[in-house]
Amino acid sequence: MDRRRTSSAVARRLTGLLAAGLLVAAVTGLIKLGEPHVPTLSLLVLYLLAVLPIAIFWGTPLAVVTAVLSVWAYAYFFVSPLHSLLLADAQNAIGLGVFLVTAVVVGELAARLRRAALEAQRLSNEQSALRRVATQVAQGVAPSVLFTAVTEEVGRLCDADLARMERYEPDGTVTGVGAWSRVPAHLTVGERFDLDGLSIAREVRRRAGPIRLDSFAGASGAIAQEAQTLGIRSSIGCPITVGGRLWGVVAASKTNDVPFPAATEAQIAGFTELVATAIENAEARAELMASRARVVVTADRTRRQIERNLHDGAQQRLVSLALRLQTAQTKVPPELSVLNAELDQVHGGLTDALDELRETARGIHPAILAEGGLSPALKSLGRRSTIPIRLTLRAQLRLSERLEASAYYFVSEALTNAAKHSHASLVVVTTDITGDALRVEIRDNGQGGADFSRGTGLLGLRDRVEALGGRLNLDSPRGAGTTLTAEFPLTGS
Amino acid sequence: MGLRCFIVDDSTDFLDAARSRLESDGVTVVGVASTIDEALARLDRAEPDVVLVDVNLGSESGLDLARRIQTETNVDPAQVILISTHAAEDLIDLVESVPAAALLSKTALSGVTLRRILDDG
Repeated sequence: MDRRRTSSAVARRLTGLLAAGLLVAAVTGLIKLGEPHVPTLSLLVLYLLAVLPIAIFWGTPLAVVTAVLSVWAYAYFFVSPLHSLLLADAQNAIGLGVFLVTAVVVGELAARLRRAALEAQRLSNEQSALRRVATQVAQGVAPSVLFTAVTEEVGRLCDADLARMERYEPDGTVTGVGAWSRVPAHLTVGERFDLDGLSIAREVRRRAGPIRLDSFAGASGAIAQEAQTLGIRSSIGCPITVGGRLWGVVAASKTNDVPFPAATEAQIAGFTELVATAIENAEARAELMASRARVVVTADRTRRQIERNLHDGAQQRLVSLALRLQTAQTKVPPELSVLNAELDQVHGGLTDALDELRETARGIHPAILAEGGLSPALKSLGRRSTIPIRLTLRAQLRLSERLEASAYYFVSEALTNAAKHSHASLVVVTTDITGDALRVEIRDNGQGGADFSRGTGLLGLRDRVEALGGRLNLDSPRGAGTTLTAEFPLTGS
Repeated sequence: MGLRCFIVDDSTDFLDAARSRLESDGVTVVGVASTIDEALARLDRAEPDVVLVDVNLGSESGLDLARRIQTETNVDPAQVILISTHAAEDLIDLVESVPAAALLSKTALSGVTLRRILDDG
């Protein structure tokens, strides 16, 4: 391994030396051409053309070598005695000395400039990569997309050959959530690994911070074996911490032994913070959605429960009482007409009370919804609507209780809205099962111009639909009616 | 000859009240049941002229019972009357798809009403 690293450095230095020789020879040739016309000492400066590129691409040490080589070539070919390194003239010696110092200083400056440019480029790349990821976080892209993007950015930025992102699971394993490789390689995403053997994830968890690994050689365990198969040598791993808890790890690996630069951990940290923010956002959003769904579902269930209690309790009792009263009335002798009239009155009052109770119960939760499902309930709703309604009910199957309730209240509230604001003379209600969604459309021929920012009616509708993971679309051009389309997913509701 | 009536309802209080109400009108209650299984087991032997089925049988549905009466007993759907605590107009859209002669609010229950429905059918 060490030998490989050394041999590549030697090859590089040899190439530099060859380039230096060629450049010096070329410049020497150039001066030879100018020699008959111009004093050669003023052409000495041309050797900077050889020193500068060497300084830029191979650094200061080789630039010094080039400068010395230049002086040697100049002394040999142009200063008398020719074809000798002796200098007869002190002036020439000073001139060569000045050139040598100038060449070294200029070379060093050029080399520094080159390093600064490279560093600026690296920083700019890092900033661009961070900005790309931050934009994705702000856009709220799906976590899987973000994980893949971050893994790739980290891999490229660290000049790695492979990069992975893994999530720690409660059972002590890790799941791969993102993978990238410079050359095509089989990297598993979505698969769980045990942390029994050597792995970056295990070391990061043990150290509770960034770690470096030089080799997986001789290590056991599923991850170590995969790393060996992929030829991974030098690796670096950084923790992803979400809300104070270790969530996962980002790892970058090389298939050679050149260590990662010292600043790599800090570079990766910029990305892990973005990932943590995205995860926190996603978790907060999921919790919000869940709690909104709970609120809606609990409210619907409570309404249904109240209706059921009324039905099974007071309503049922009053019905039986009314029947018993009628039975009693049949036993009253005909001559007791006053008593009979009195009992008639009681029966009438009882029936009125029962009607009022039914009315109340219906407002809370229509019995027909529980008994017959969405279609009969919507028919019943349409019958009582103040605006004429046309129904096209293609969703005839019974659905889950919460879905039926949500779809029913959606239509009921939309009709109330239309009656209040639309000035419509007809509302068309359509239900459909398309794919794995219940689609409910309410179209009126009213004045249009409805939008979510005005009034709470439409917002309430959207809340109701989104609480069940659905989508609400509003199309309401001014003067051309309003169409509300809700899509409720059949699964998960 | 008195009308023979079978009542299916999950409330014993109602079964009692309905029985006395109908019997005071000269209807004979030949059997009662509280669940779908009880009803299906007893119906054929009771040989009723009319079967009253509560739409809401607790955790079971009277609509299911109405369908099963059609397929699993000798009772004709024209002899089945759905009854409910709710107002008949609230549930009228339910009955379309159910094999039954009518839907009747429980408060409207009487011998006269039953005879009228059966005669109309």
